[in-house]
Amino acid sequence: MTSAPTPEKDDGAGLGLRLTLPAQVLVLFISLFPLLMQLYISLTDWSPLSGMAWPRAWEFWNTFANYLDLVSDDRLWSALGRTALVMAVCVPLEFGLGLALATLFVDDFPGKRVAYSILIMPMMVVPAVAGYMFFMLFQSGGPVNDILSWFTAEPVSIAWLSDPTLALIAVMAADIWQWTPLMFLILLAGLVGVPDDQIKAATLLGASPVQRFLTIVIPRMKTIIVIALAIRCIEAFKIFDTLYIMTGGGPGVATETISVYIYKITTQDLIWGYVAAIALAILLVLSLLAVWAMRRMAK
Amino acid sequence: MSAIHLQGLVKRFGQFTALKTMDLAIADGEFMALLGPSGCGKSTTMNMIAGMERPSEGRILFGNQDVTGLPMGRRGVGFVFQNYAIFTHMTVRQNLSYGLRMMGRPASEVASRTGTMAEMLGLTALLDRPAAGLSVNILQRLAIGRSAVMEPAIFLLDEPLSNVDAAFRAVMRTELKSLQRQFRQTMVYVTHDQLEAMTMADRIAVMDHGVLQQVGTPLEVYNDPVNTFVARFIGAPGMNLLPGRLLQHAGGLCVDLGPLGISAPLPGPLAAAAASAPAEVIYGFRPEEVQLDPAAPLGLPLTVTERIGARSILHLGEGETSVRAVFQSGEPLPEAGLVRFQPAAAAVRLFDAATGRAIRGV
Repeated sequence: MTSAPTPEKDDGAGLGLRLTLPAQVLVLFISLFPLLMQLYISLTDWSPLSGMAWPRAWEFWNTFANYLDLVSDDRLWSALGRTALVMAVCVPLEFGLGLALATLFVDDFPGKRVAYSILIMPMMVVPAVAGYMFFMLFQSGGPVNDILSWFTAEPVSIAWLSDPTLALIAVMAADIWQWTPLMFLILLAGLVGVPDDQIKAATLLGASPVQRFLTIVIPRMKTIIVIALAIRCIEAFKIFDTLYIMTGGGPGVATETISVYIYKITTQDLIWGYVAAIALAILLVLSLLAVWAMRRMAK
Repeated sequence: MSAIHLQGLVKRFGQFTALKTMDLAIADGEFMALLGPSGCGKSTTMNMIAGMERPSEGRILFGNQDVTGLPMGRRGVGFVFQNYAIFTHMTVRQNLSYGLRMMGRPASEVASRTGTMAEMLGLTALLDRPAAGLSVNILQRLAIGRSAVMEPAIFLLDEPLSNVDAAFRAVMRTELKSLQRQFRQTMVYVTHDQLEAMTMADRIAVMDHGVLQQVGTPLEVYNDPVNTFVARFIGAPGMNLLPGRLLQHAGGLCVDLGPLGISAPLPGPLAAAAASAPAEVIYGFRPEEVQLDPAAPLGLPLTVTERIGARSILHLGEGETSVRAVFQSGEPLPEAGLVRFQPAAAAVRLFDAATGRAIRGV
């Protein structure tokens, strides 16, 4: 009798905790364990080539040597800079193109549904396949050069993917081709959501189309715009598959982004202690950036 | 200058004709109410005056200027939307000053005109509040102020009071009327509420099924409806309409109302007009004009008595032959049984049963 639990005592935090404990343990294991493991390895010189399993990495303890190394790692810094460049070029262009296209698609026109389907198709292509497509397009005997030769009236044989600058341009072109549709889709949803009578009210008050766009449409879409930019910035920072298939980070290291660099030193150099240090450092910097960006947005 | 002329206005949406040939002249400074049930074409008419819709046929003139093809941004009309269309991402001040700012008026002028308008509408204390989350009553005033600050010569209001509570509606009716007197604008007011139209408008244009039924002052429309639709639509409750046959009886032209009995002889002018009309008529009279009299020729059993404060409504009979009668609450009223009554002679109206048109004595 006395051992029967009374519901009054149980319905608070205690019951909730007991019910969610298994899930919480699982989540902790999935997220916290790899983080701790990575932190541990990042403080050592351990490599899978050492012949020892990772729990014994303490035998190669080097404290913060990896973190000191990455400060002076030029290849890392130029990969970071290049990633930032890709973000800075691709995301605004995708936003501009996406917004322009979305504006066109607000009103009806003949063939809208077909045009719409064609427009969002690139987004559906597997990035690796898109990489292969653009690899073929940008061959020196490929279609891009053919089209250019129509304008120059003489054969063009630019070696796009072998030139450090041109290769980066080709990679950005592929990214813009593939991800403008996502911007278009998100921004179109935002545009359609702007109430019609607000536009009419502004028009009747004498606002020009540009004024209406700047004072009604854009402010009303602010949240959607922030979400679209955030998604694309995060994705652009992680750019990997398309780029890796097109250039492999080459020529040399000319198109190496942060993901490609980490991939290469992980699979080729196998210096996993150092890789862990880089990954953790980037995670830390990005988290701080994200917190700062969210604080700004909240204002 | 700001008179509005609608000439042979037609609006079709695909197969559907929303407005069939509308001709209407609204004088400069007049308060015109477009009144009708939903789907009657009143909002379509208003949208064409504002330039939101292009007429399929016909012309719209402001003064002497043909504005039929002029885009809505250049017509310079004030428009208050039914749901107000307040820019909720702005403050009250930004809403009020929007039009002036878009026109590029100097900041000092924007500030002073916005301030004056806010003062007039009692919005001064709220100027820096975000427009989102304000009460409907305030949004409503803001919507009017946002258009009024532009000092348009023509002001269009699309059912502006349909979303506000009853008490505030009464206040706003008075306020809108005094606003209009102050500005002397031409106002077009769309509503389905005949009380709003009756209390505020100089003239009422009654519409139904895309056709303009009658234009006139509130009293004209109330007293002399041109057809049974207007008779039924105007007034609360609407006019009593009973099918009957004309016949000579008791030394005059009367109407045989079947189960109710035979009416008293029609007054002279009406009898003269009815003499040449078809025999099948509709006999109409206002519920307010019913007199109870045990010796009266008409009679119906009492069905229900509605008591609404100062007034009581007797419901007599049912179906085709039902009559409503309105009395002041003080009057002694029958509790049950057959009620004998007759309408005041001057209040009787006749309509052609086939066409529904009024038969009028001169």
